[in-house]
Amino acid sequence: MIGGESEQIPDWIIFWGHFHPMLVHLPIGMFIMGCILYVFSKKEETQRQHQIVPILWSTGITGIISCTMGWGLSQTGEYEENTLFLHQWLGISVTISSLALAYMAKHWSKDSLMRRFFKPLFFLSFLLLLVTGHLGGNMTHGSDYLSTYLPQPWRSWIGIAPKEKRTNEVGAKIIKIKNLKEALVYQDLIQPTLEQKCWSCHNAEKQKGKLRMDSPENLLKGGANGPVFLAGNPLESEMIKRVLLEASHEDHMPPKGKISLTEDEIKLLQWWVKEGAHFNKKIAEIPQDNQIKNILSRYTDGNKNSEKYVSPVLLGDIPAASESDIEKLRKHQLVVITLSSEKPFLEINAINAPKIGDKELRDVEGVKNQVVSLKLGNTQLTDAFLDQISNYPRIIQLQLDHTRISDKGIEYLGTMPHLETINLVGTSASDVGMKALSKIKTLRKVYLWQTKVSEKGIKDLQKSLPKLMIDQGWEGKWPIDTLKFPIKKPE
Amino acid sequence: MNKLLEEAIQREAQLATRRHFLSSLGTGIGSLALGSFLSNCSSKDSVSFESPLAAKSSPKLRKAKSVIFLHMAGAPSQLELFDYKPSLAKFDGKECPQELLAGKKFAFIRGVPNLLGPKANFKQRGQSGHWISDYLPHLASQADRVSFLKGMYTDQFNHAPAQLLMHTGSARLGRPSMGSWVSYGLGTENQNLPGFVVLASGGKNPDAGKSAWGSGFLPSIYQGVQCRSEGEPILFIQNPKGMSTDIRKASIEAINKINQETYEEIGDPETVARIAQYEMAYKMQSSVPEVMDINKEPAYIHEMYGTEPGKESFANNCLLARKLVEKGVRFVQLFDWGWDTHGTGLDGSVDYGLHQKCRQIDQATTALLVDLEQRGLLDETLVVWGGEFGRTPMQENREGKKLAYFGRDHHTEAFTMWLAGGGIKPGISHGETDDLGYSTISGKTSVYDLQATILQCLGFNHEEFTYPFQGRNFRLTDVFGQVIDPILA
Repeated sequence: MIGGESEQIPDWIIFWGHFHPMLVHLPIGMFIMGCILYVFSKKEETQRQHQIVPILWSTGITGIISCTMGWGLSQTGEYEENTLFLHQWLGISVTISSLALAYMAKHWSKDSLMRRFFKPLFFLSFLLLLVTGHLGGNMTHGSDYLSTYLPQPWRSWIGIAPKEKRTNEVGAKIIKIKNLKEALVYQDLIQPTLEQKCWSCHNAEKQKGKLRMDSPENLLKGGANGPVFLAGNPLESEMIKRVLLEASHEDHMPPKGKISLTEDEIKLLQWWVKEGAHFNKKIAEIPQDNQIKNILSRYTDGNKNSEKYVSPVLLGDIPAASESDIEKLRKHQLVVITLSSEKPFLEINAINAPKIGDKELRDVEGVKNQVVSLKLGNTQLTDAFLDQISNYPRIIQLQLDHTRISDKGIEYLGTMPHLETINLVGTSASDVGMKALSKIKTLRKVYLWQTKVSEKGIKDLQKSLPKLMIDQGWEGKWPIDTLKFPIKKPE
Repeated sequence: MNKLLEEAIQREAQLATRRHFLSSLGTGIGSLALGSFLSNCSSKDSVSFESPLAAKSSPKLRKAKSVIFLHMAGAPSQLELFDYKPSLAKFDGKECPQELLAGKKFAFIRGVPNLLGPKANFKQRGQSGHWISDYLPHLASQADRVSFLKGMYTDQFNHAPAQLLMHTGSARLGRPSMGSWVSYGLGTENQNLPGFVVLASGGKNPDAGKSAWGSGFLPSIYQGVQCRSEGEPILFIQNPKGMSTDIRKASIEAINKINQETYEEIGDPETVARIAQYEMAYKMQSSVPEVMDINKEPAYIHEMYGTEPGKESFANNCLLARKLVEKGVRFVQLFDWGWDTHGTGLDGSVDYGLHQKCRQIDQATTALLVDLEQRGLLDETLVVWGGEFGRTPMQENREGKKLAYFGRDHHTEAFTMWLAGGGIKPGISHGETDDLGYSTISGKTSVYDLQATILQCLGFNHEEFTYPFQGRNFRLTDVFGQVIDPILA
């Protein structure tokens, strides 16, 4: 059954039970108010006790209501038994003692002997209240709720490990598998996922739906709605069904507000259940189709493909260029914009300035530390400009297509520390220039269409920079001549 | 002394009649508007007061600087092109299961339709193993360059609202289109061309009409400029007979001067838009015919695209799109009409008409990708391909009757789009449909998600990219949208 948490307990009990965490703050607040009034009162003892009688009565009455609701909430069976037991009885005793205190304050305060018992009992109840509240908080939010964000010096004092850095915005750690051949399917793949996405509500302290997922035994035991999975049959497995439901569906797991499983995680979970939900097998021992193999390869270390590439230059911080230097360039009709509003890296684009030449481009010197991208195709620049920029520290992209540059100019570029893309289309670049390019280890892409570079030059370049993508333009014909295949009309 | 001061204040109060108050309020509000307009349009590194179209930097590092959106208006059948469903072939001709139809509404299907197996042959292509049918043999050769979204869905099953939703983020009229948002946010690099150009082919504008490239509540300088590939590129832009360029120039300068004065007085940003539009129109008199002229392209380019200068065709528009992006245009929107394959006629059949339609776009689309790549533009140009919705796995039975040809009805629950270029990880397939291709079972991607992703590639967080209108901040994605991270590079 999906839906109802438990079959024996009527819904209305649990409904009111859910008000417990809210209402319980009423007696707590009242009691503390009583304490404050009592401690800071300047009146003599009889009057001091007397004036807080109504507060203590109210504490007792709202306390009784809270206890009742708390009992209702406990019937869901979602809470760890030992903590629950303590919380329950401490709560009841605080309630009773506040009623007792009220009685004492009202009737015994004039008796000089009896009124002496008031203060110690009041203090003791206050301590009990603190403990009860803390236990309640632990059950609702988890026992590490208070300490999770404790700043460093205090962490070590009370003996908790230093906090791990949150790895990305979602707050989930990226699961990495070091050795795919030896890794265990449950321990290294499934359990880390469950730990991130499920354990916060299904653990030793909190058992939503009477379910714990923090060990194989508990997973096999299942929860209030029966078994969690049916080995070999993912579609009949409660766990799989629920993660596959629409995020807006009431029974979707993890519930609203928590981070859902990723596509890959769902696929792996399905695969694990389908192949028998083994707890002790190695990943390699379980049959994998291509899709699973693909996903698994994303989990292994050293798979750089899955990482998003950003040039290391752009990760650094630099001072902004001066407005007057940028203004100078704009006067030449150059488009000068920062790559993003976050950092002052500059891109210079000559799209509106086809007539610009070396003389005007000398002004680029003013922003040499900021410029990362120079798009100067179809301009009048020559090798002299390449000499000028050869020591610019942060150039990533150079568009020099359809300019009068030659191999001599390209040779100046050999020392550029971060050059990744260079467009030489429609220039007189030849094999000599390619030799120079092959020294730039950071190079990722080069456009060599309509140049004098020979087949051999390209081969040699590729050899010295195996990862370089070399674009040689369109082959000049399409692999298929569709005109030869007329489309048949249906009868 | 105090008395004097009091008297002054009193006199001041007497002078400030209601009329005085209102008129000062007028300039007050005007200057407020000016202030907000300027702050919207200017980051400190660019944009003078005169040019709302000047290039601006994006808030975050961008991967793409321009977009070419190829919209197959009418909605192409994903089941004949990319979403390969062998099980659907198995059940070809069988009645559609009741549970798929319960509570569902279709544009034309009534009663219980039969399932219709795929009419094209599929093959896995390239390293990525994308399934692409033989309707698109050229595109198949570029399989590793594109990434598919196979779990797209929408909530509009009629063309016009679905197209509006796709381009403006709302099925109703009045919102700015994606191209307008983008040119508002990034300006444009070429100051002689508009930032947002629209090209239509297939003999018809899309159903959503000009609203699909309207600027909504954004200043109207950001609306799409429709250019034609046949005849004059832009209607009414050339000087009428008897008016020389000098006279035209003088009159525009005079008009702009008056507008300038009006703006200084009232401060309506729309006045600035108007000034910029006059200037742009004047510049476009020479720049547009030049860029729109594909005659000067070398022969191998025509061979590559399959272009025929002087005709209105998708191929011509693809070549133009490349030229425009190369010239620094920010957003190029192509519409190609004729993909609405209901099966009511031969041209609208999925086994013949659709194949014909694919022939018209296959080579040109592929050429566009290859040509952008060889010019180093694909790295910073995002190419998006798709329709406004998908097509049903069932054969259309218009008004419950069997149609003469094989066709499919409009389908909202699953369709395929693809993206390539700047910011997109190539060769990925995101999302899956069930065995019949009826609904999306994983990687569900809404139209808003797609829009959020496009903005992300351009360096915007779609939740922070807003424009204040009628008292609140508006976004392209309204209150929805999640960036599709798995396909991003």
